[in-house]
Amino acid sequence: MKRTNIGLALILILCSLLLTGCWGKREVEELAPLIAIGFDLGQKPGTYLITKQFVSPKKGESTNVTDVDRTFSVEVSSPREAYEKMSKLLNLIPFRGSLKVIVIGEDVAKAGFLDLLDLEQRFGEFRRMTYLVLTKGKAQSILTMKMRAGTLPGMYIKDNLETGGTVSTFPLVRLGHYLTVLSRKSTAPIIPLVKSVKPGDEGIEYKAGGKDGGEELQLEGAGVFRGDRLVDFLTDKETKGYMWLDNDIEQRSISTVDIEESKVNFVGQVLKSTTKYKVPDQDGTIGIQYQIEASVAVEEVTGQKEQLSVTEWADLMKGAEGSFAKAIQKECELSIKKERELSLDFLGIGRHIEQKNPAYWKTVKDQWEQKIADFPVSLNVQVKIDTSGMSSSSATTN
Amino acid sequence: MERISTHQFMILGAAVLMGTTFFPVAAMVTGVGGRDGWMSILPGYAAGIPYGLMVLSLVERYPHKNLLQISETLFGKWIGKIIGILYILITGYFGGLLLGQIGDVFQSSIMPITPISLFYLGGLLLIFYLVSSGIEVFARFSEAIFPIIVIALVLNAGLAIPRIEQGELLPILSEGFKPLFWGGVKVLPFAMEYILFLAGILTFLPTSKQELGQLKTGVWRAVFLVGILDTMVALIQILVFGPTETIRLVYGLLVLGKMVELSRTVSGVESIFLGVWLGAGVIKSGAFFFTSTWGLETVFGLKGLKWNLALGVVFMGIALGFTRSINLVMEISLVDNYLILPFTSVWILTLWGVSRWKKGAGVQ
Repeated sequence: MKRTNIGLALILILCSLLLTGCWGKREVEELAPLIAIGFDLGQKPGTYLITKQFVSPKKGESTNVTDVDRTFSVEVSSPREAYEKMSKLLNLIPFRGSLKVIVIGEDVAKAGFLDLLDLEQRFGEFRRMTYLVLTKGKAQSILTMKMRAGTLPGMYIKDNLETGGTVSTFPLVRLGHYLTVLSRKSTAPIIPLVKSVKPGDEGIEYKAGGKDGGEELQLEGAGVFRGDRLVDFLTDKETKGYMWLDNDIEQRSISTVDIEESKVNFVGQVLKSTTKYKVPDQDGTIGIQYQIEASVAVEEVTGQKEQLSVTEWADLMKGAEGSFAKAIQKECELSIKKERELSLDFLGIGRHIEQKNPAYWKTVKDQWEQKIADFPVSLNVQVKIDTSGMSSSSATTN
Repeated sequence: MERISTHQFMILGAAVLMGTTFFPVAAMVTGVGGRDGWMSILPGYAAGIPYGLMVLSLVERYPHKNLLQISETLFGKWIGKIIGILYILITGYFGGLLLGQIGDVFQSSIMPITPISLFYLGGLLLIFYLVSSGIEVFARFSEAIFPIIVIALVLNAGLAIPRIEQGELLPILSEGFKPLFWGGVKVLPFAMEYILFLAGILTFLPTSKQELGQLKTGVWRAVFLVGILDTMVALIQILVFGPTETIRLVYGLLVLGKMVELSRTVSGVESIFLGVWLGAGVIKSGAFFFTSTWGLETVFGLKGLKWNLALGVVFMGIALGFTRSINLVMEISLVDNYLILPFTSVWILTLWGVSRWKKGAGVQ
């Protein structure tokens, strides 16, 4: 027994000495956490302009990253080469496990960027939870932007993406999700679009801060890909339509303005939404039927000049349900129209057919891109107004 | 003579049967069975139950003898010896490869700079200690570690639920049942690995009629427990990655562990899981170390510290021969499919058949 205990103690001592991971040890103070990477095409053929954004938290500060200047761009033939070059520039060891965002520039997105992602999906230090965003123009210009709030663009994009559920106007695409969609073959991946917004752009005004100015970033719209090559961009409305059809709505604002000619308009907050689909066979014609059910809280009623009785208010809300349904339908139709124009199935209709009617899918999958253009799609949108707030009518001027 | 209880037999059996199968199982079954591959795991394991029962039925007739000794009795000395040599070679080689897998898993996921030989050495030291302490200590080690392995697997799968992609499991059975058959065939070698261990451990089992019944129940329970757990592991990977990505990922469960985030603040929990997987690797490789020592003792009468040390050197040599990850994965698969599966299935079936025939004919 005594001998056994000594043996055990020796083995434990040996294990603790040998298996501490000292060979790969890196002190936290020696690390430069990487938070964002930007990919662009380089000037020389076959090269890429890779921008990396590192953070250096100041000692004693528990939150907020303050060192903004640790963003480098290098022209290289591969991401691994960029790592080497940046290691020479940094006085710290680049740590890649903290990567949050990959920004894909327009030129590299059009040329195809899957090879650039190989390191991120292969090397064990990276995680498939990293977000992917696309930008018109250069990724470098996004990551080297000076933000008004002093935040690093990489952190800003990450934070904006993670709070995106409150508006549900753009998709949240992580590296793992992109690779899974890519593997489906029939579905065209989409990636949200990030852009810089200057004062005056799209009716947005803000006071540029500091001597160097300072800008804001906005997530709006998306890019549609054939595999890893950018084909086209989706507008804000088309992206919103995608969000409905993909059952990605958590909460969002919806307005009936411009939907129909009416003096009274409504703005509401979607509290809950579910999108289901069927693939019915009607007289030998296979199509897809979307069923969207949304619960809305009315937050604004404009143009209502008369005081209404409770019954009249109830009727008005009944009418509002129809108006909201039309607003949702319009966004979805824009998205479906775009899918048909592009002949690219970013809505994943092919996968839905495969799931519900695999036998039929086998007959159409090889010509799917041609089929999309006239594949029957129908929508049934139902809205239920859960609440109209603290008032059962509107204040009037009479 | 050491003895283990029926409960220890069940837990030890489950721990050995499971081993590190949760790493390759999803990619293996999805590779041949597509998105329905997960359904083939439980039937694949269940196919091992009749073999387990056949082995235990031999205990009734030949108590306190392992299958190598029973083979010598039934087939004659020389055929028995040849079977014994094959048994030693296969289990020794496979155990060495599993030791290599311990290092490979750690190096490819979280500790790429640490020399791989240190993982081998660390694993081997633990195995060596367990083997030197005897089967009873090994069983108690399994009793302590296996529940943690199960909890870690369930936690890993459960915490990955928020990462599930819509509809990746559908359509179900669109390719019919044929791919499931091939998926089951891929899992069958795992069950046969367990049977090889069972073949050697027989001498340490209780032999009363009541306890034999409990041992048979233990086989059922171990097989179903491990079958369900591995099914869960494969299922969650297909749900999160989709079938194509599941096939492509070498150690999908580790990637899944890296995707676990708690409230967007806690991540990197895969390191905790990896600590648990080390225990699983040690149990599996240790089980084959045991089988090799039992084989050496039965066939050549070689036992004791000296021969254990020699076997440890052999294990280390085999592991060092497969430091290339992909070569190791391929070799394990080859040994499983082309050595363990045919050898065990033919050996056990023949042995059981001959035993039945001799019993029927009244031959001792």
